[in-house]
Formats: sequence, C-alpha cells, structure tokens
Amino acid sequence: MWELIRANKRNSIILMTLMAMVLLLLGFLIGLFIFGPEGGFFGLVIATVIWLILTLISFSSGDQIFLAASGAKPVTKDVNPQLFNVVEEMTIAAGMGKMPKIYIIADPAPNAFATGRKPETSSIAVTAGLLGRLNRDELQGVIAHEMSHIINRDILFVTMAGVMLGTIVLLSQIFLRGMFYSSMGSRRRYSSGGKGGGQAAILFLIIAIIAAILAPIMAQLLYFALSRRREYLADAGGARLTRYPEGLASALEKIANDPSPQLAAANKASAPMYIVNPFKKKGQMKLSDLTSTHPPISERIRILRNMTHGASFKDYSDAYTSTTKHKTIVPVSSFTKEQVAIRQASEKAKSQELKSKQMRQVGDIMRVVNGFVFLSCVCGLKLKIPPNFKASTVKCPRCKRTLEVPKQ
Amino acid sequence: MLAGAATIFLVVLIAIIAVLVLLIFAVIGIYNALVRLRNQVDNAWSQIDVQLKRRHDLIPNLIETAKGYMHHERETFEAITNARAAAMGASNVADAAKAEGALGGALSKFLLVVENYPDLKANQNFLSLQEELTSTENKISFSRQNYNDQVLFFNNKIQMFPSNIIAGMFGFGKRDFFEIENAAEREVPKVSFN
Amino acid sequence: MDCPVCKNAMVVLELRGVEIDHCFGCGGIWLDAGELDLLIDDVEKSAKLLDSFTIDTKCTEAKRKCPICAKKMLKVVVGKDGHQLLIDSCKKKHGLWFDAGELEDILKRAKLDSDSKIQTLLADMFAENPQLSETGNNQNQ
Repeated sequence: MWELIRANKRNSIILMTLMAMVLLLLGFLIGLFIFGPEGGFFGLVIATVIWLILTLISFSSGDQIFLAASGAKPVTKDVNPQLFNVVEEMTIAAGMGKMPKIYIIADPAPNAFATGRKPETSSIAVTAGLLGRLNRDELQGVIAHEMSHIINRDILFVTMAGVMLGTIVLLSQIFLRGMFYSSMGSRRRYSSGGKGGGQAAILFLIIAIIAAILAPIMAQLLYFALSRRREYLADAGGARLTRYPEGLASALEKIANDPSPQLAAANKASAPMYIVNPFKKKGQMKLSDLTSTHPPISERIRILRNMTHGASFKDYSDAYTSTTKHKTIVPVSSFTKEQVAIRQASEKAKSQELKSKQMRQVGDIMRVVNGFVFLSCVCGLKLKIPPNFKASTVKCPRCKRTLEVPKQ
Repeated sequence: MLAGAATIFLVVLIAIIAVLVLLIFAVIGIYNALVRLRNQVDNAWSQIDVQLKRRHDLIPNLIETAKGYMHHERETFEAITNARAAAMGASNVADAAKAEGALGGALSKFLLVVENYPDLKANQNFLSLQEELTSTENKISFSRQNYNDQVLFFNNKIQMFPSNIIAGMFGFGKRDFFEIENAAEREVPKVSFN
Repeated sequence: MDCPVCKNAMVVLELRGVEIDHCFGCGGIWLDAGELDLLIDDVEKSAKLLDSFTIDTKCTEAKRKCPICAKKMLKVVVGKDGHQLLIDSCKKKHGLWFDAGELEDILKRAKLDSDSKIQTLLADMFAENPQLSETGNNQNQ
C-alpha cells in the first residue's frame, strides 16, 4: 500500500511540475510583454503569488466550502446504520486510524465523493439516491473506492492541480481581456515607443497571446490525465480493500444506468471528486479520452469484471492490460507477491418489493436530513411534517385524533 | 611532505567520520521504520481484538431477540452460546483463532436457520441486530485482512537486507499470520436480508 | 413541497407503504407519480393511467401549478359518462392533484384506475371511519 502511495506521489509530482512549468512560463511571457524585456521575472513572481494565495485559500477551507456547496449534511449512525458500518469496515480494512466523517446529500441521483487533505480530516459524502439503489456489497465497493482516494492522498493532488489549473485559466483570461480592451482604447501607447521597441513588443505580444491560449489547454489535459489515472487506481484499491471487485463493478453499472437527472450541486471544478462524472452527456462514453476527468464507466466495469484470479493490484493491472491493451496503470513497485483471493457475494438479489421499501427509506433519510418531524398516529398513519409547517397541532385525517407537533 | 601526509590523513579521517555519520543515520532511519511497522502490526492486532469482543457482546442480545420467535432451535442457540464461552475463555492466539472460527461457523448456521422464520425477519429490532452482526463479521475479516497485510510487510522488512541486520541487532522477531482454521470460514459469512 | 393552491407546506402521509402529500390548509391532495407506481405496483399500468385521461381544453377553472416543476398543470377528465370528474395532472407526468371538494366525488363515484386502488387508499386515509374515530374518542376522554 505504502509503495503504491509513494509511486503515486512521484507520478503526480511529475504531472504537477509540468503544470507549474506551464504556469511559470505563462507568467514569464505575460510579464515580458507588459513590462518589457526585463519584466519576465516580475511576471513570474506575480503568477507565483496568485497561485500561492489561491492554494492557501483552498487548503484552509477548501473541503468545507466544497461540502457546503454540494449541500451535504453530516449524519450520525442512527440515521443510516448500514452506511455508517460500511464506512467503519473500510476504515478498518484500510488500516486507517480515524474514520472519515460521513455526509449525506439529499439528491436522488446516485453519486459519492471524498474530500479532505489528510486521512485524519477526511470526509465521505454519498447521495440519498446512492443509498436507495445499491445493496450492501455495492455500497461497500463505492465506499472502498472513496477510501482509496483518501489513502492515496488523491484529494490533495486533485485540489492542488485544480488550483493550479484555475490560476492558469485566470491569468490567461485576465491577460487576453486586458489585451482586448487596451488595444481598443489606446493603440497609441504601443506605437509611440522607439521603432525597435515596437517590433519587440509585437513579437512578445504574439508569443504571449499564443501562450495565453495554449496554456489553459495544456494544463487542462495534464489535469485530466492526472484525475483519470487516479480513478483507475482508486478502483484497483477499492477492489483490493473489499476483496470483491464485482461489488464496485455492479455499483458503477447501476449508477451509469440510472435515469435520474444529473446531480444538481456539481460543477466543473468539483466533477473530478465524484465516483462517476456527475455531468451526463449523451454519448459520453464515446467522448475523447483526453477531455474527460473520468475514464469511461463501461471500461472501468469491464476491467473490474476481468479480475477473475484475485483482487490484488497485480490482478487489476493484468485485467487493465487485457481490457484496454494499454500498458499497466498501476506502478509495478506496488506488486508485492501477495495472494489476494476474491470473496463471495454476501447478499442475494433483492425482490422488487424490498427495492421500493428501500426507496421509501431513502426518502425518509432525505427528510430526516432536511429537518422533517416524524409522527406516528395510533391508527397506523404516519405523518411526516416539514420544518416550515406552522401549526403546532395536526388532526390525523384518518382517525381525527389531534396530534402535537414537537418543536425542534 | 609532512604537511601533505597530514592533509591526506585529515581527508581520510573526515571521510571515515562522514561514512560513520551516514551509517548511524541509516541505522536510525531503518530502526524507526521497523518500529513504525511493528506498531502497525500491534494496532491491527488490537483492532481484531476489539471486533471479536464486539461479537461476543452482540450475541446475548441476538439470542434474546430470536428466542421469542424460534421455539424449536435450542440446539442452534446452545451451539452459539458454547462457542462464545469457548472463544471468551481461550488463553492463547492459536486457541482463540480456533474458537472464533467455530463461533463464526455457528453464527452463519444460525443466520441460515433464521431464513425459516419470516416473523423474526420482520422484527425491526432483530433487523438492526442482524445488520450489526453482519458488519461485525465483516469488520473481523477486514481487520484480519489488514493484520495479515501488515504482518507480511513487517516480516518482509525484517528478512530483507539491510534491515535484517538492524532487526537482528534490536531483536525484532517475525510475527505470525492470523489464520482461521476452518477453510469455509475464510469467507465472510453469507448474510441475507430477504 | 408547497401546496399549489394556498402555498402552505404540505405534510406527507404514509399508509401501508404509500405516501401522499396533504395540505392541511385547503385539504388538497397531491399524488406523486412515483407513489402511483408503488400503489398500482406496475410501472406500465400507472404510465398508461396517466395517459388515459382526456384533456379538457374548455375548462375555465383556475390553472394550478405542479408543485414539482412549477409548470401549469392540465385539467383532465376522469371516469365514464355521468360520473365525470375534473382533476389536475402535470404535463410532465409528475403527478395528480385533487382539490378538497373533489375528494368526495372520487370516493363516491369516479373510477380512476382499474383496480380502484387510489380510491381504496384515499378512502382509508380521509373518509369518515366510525370504527377508528370512536376508539380515538374513547382514548381522548
């Protein structure tokens, strides 16, 4: 495991160094253009300062902002004991000292994500729709995938790379806009200098514009490469933690085939954090590999289902190679000579009746999370009262008893 | 000439000291890594212990709830109670592993029998106990899995060069894997909610 | 969810695994499409049911807005000749809305679905049920 984390760090650091170089080069070229031949260094400093400030902000409160933006509510064990237990099981399997905090998002689209820079301060959030559709084994697979993100320090890398990408986009946007307006307003300023200076300025201008257009694209490609790679690794880690690749595979299948509308709270910046891309597009599976934060789900499922010999990283790597015909995604240094046997399914398929019962429970979980009060009348009718209900008593419509509405 | 010899001597001396310092640092580093790994093994072991205790604590409740519904299953209950007593009384690791294996077997048999009692399966209290039991069984097997991973890692480390030298110097001994006797018990017991 | 008529927060009522939303302000009832599926226990049948209603274009009654999508709902006619009833149905098939006054008509006459499951449920939830209320009164006294 530690081997894998180390190899992971190395790969990510290479990708991030490339991104940093793109950022610094962009700063340098813009500086060169704005402040003249000696200004390159100055531009470099400004780019670094902007990047540092954004990094500090995202590190100090990034995960809290993200959780709040997704509408996730913290839950205790009594709201959903099974979810709580499954997270605890995976914490034990991963040998983590402290359990991540658990959040539920009141959204019917099934999805999940993990946040937090360190394993000790991490959180896992799942949507109510996920709880409603998955059985225990599938839920375990999803949580194991998220747990792998946490122990691989993926959140740290994705956040840092995301901030760097943001800085690059920001810089080039400011520059291109500034260019546009200043060239509209006062053309003279540029032509009034010496003739040689003018030519140099034009040359710098062209280089800077090209850089400002290319840099965000380059950075984005690097970012996508980084986050896609980490999805595969988290799948491999998830399969190894649970010893049951089919759980995650069938969870991914259910999530992919779900008819619910896309997750309301997701945006482009947070997309790589989710277990599957929250943006549903027609024909997403066929989209170019280069422009997606997630590998195609069908491929992830095929790889997991091809793991017939065992659940170790080596087995995932073999399945990956035989499925995609690419060379391994898992660093070879993490292949210990371990034998990891696949265990059997722990649960039979559920009947339709139970599924609807499960959906009802999910509805109730969403209501508990949203502050509903539950009343049970003696006649058997259940009343679920929303937090903005004003009266202090209700009359049961079935047996006409008067019931008190407890104040929260 | 004399000054030249002195310089060479000084250089050699500094080189030797530098190598020694590096060596000491390497020894400290490896020693610390070994301690860290050994602590991880110990932590993993205590986690198994915690989960086994949890299982022992759950059983009386479970039987109490089930008894009201299952009138003809005295043998099943007795098997569980006896296995629990044996597991709690085990004095060494080998005995404990054997007794816990037997207890796991008795519990999975019990959960199969439960299938014949639909009333019991509709009982909310029993359902939540059953979820706790399933989860505890999972936690036992996952903590065992983690313990064995850590042991493998630790044992590899103390056998490999150069950490084997330091392990020998400070008396780091190999650890045993936690294997459960009954081969069928290697899998998580099948618990069904139907 | 808010009542499309009086904008009060609606209370969810659950009986035998099926939920409806009820407004204590005006007495209206919202039957969600998903709940209809649960009640009729056959996704195809319940979809057919929602399609089977004839849209009444001449109706001058005030249009209600669907509490889910906030789009204006259609007035639809249910039941056979002589026992007709006008209810609101969401264009996007989010569910059905019954005004308080329509409830009695539904319980007495109109046949919505082939097995009368909707009537049975609503009757059990809202109709005067002497057995239930008597025991209730005894307990209150």
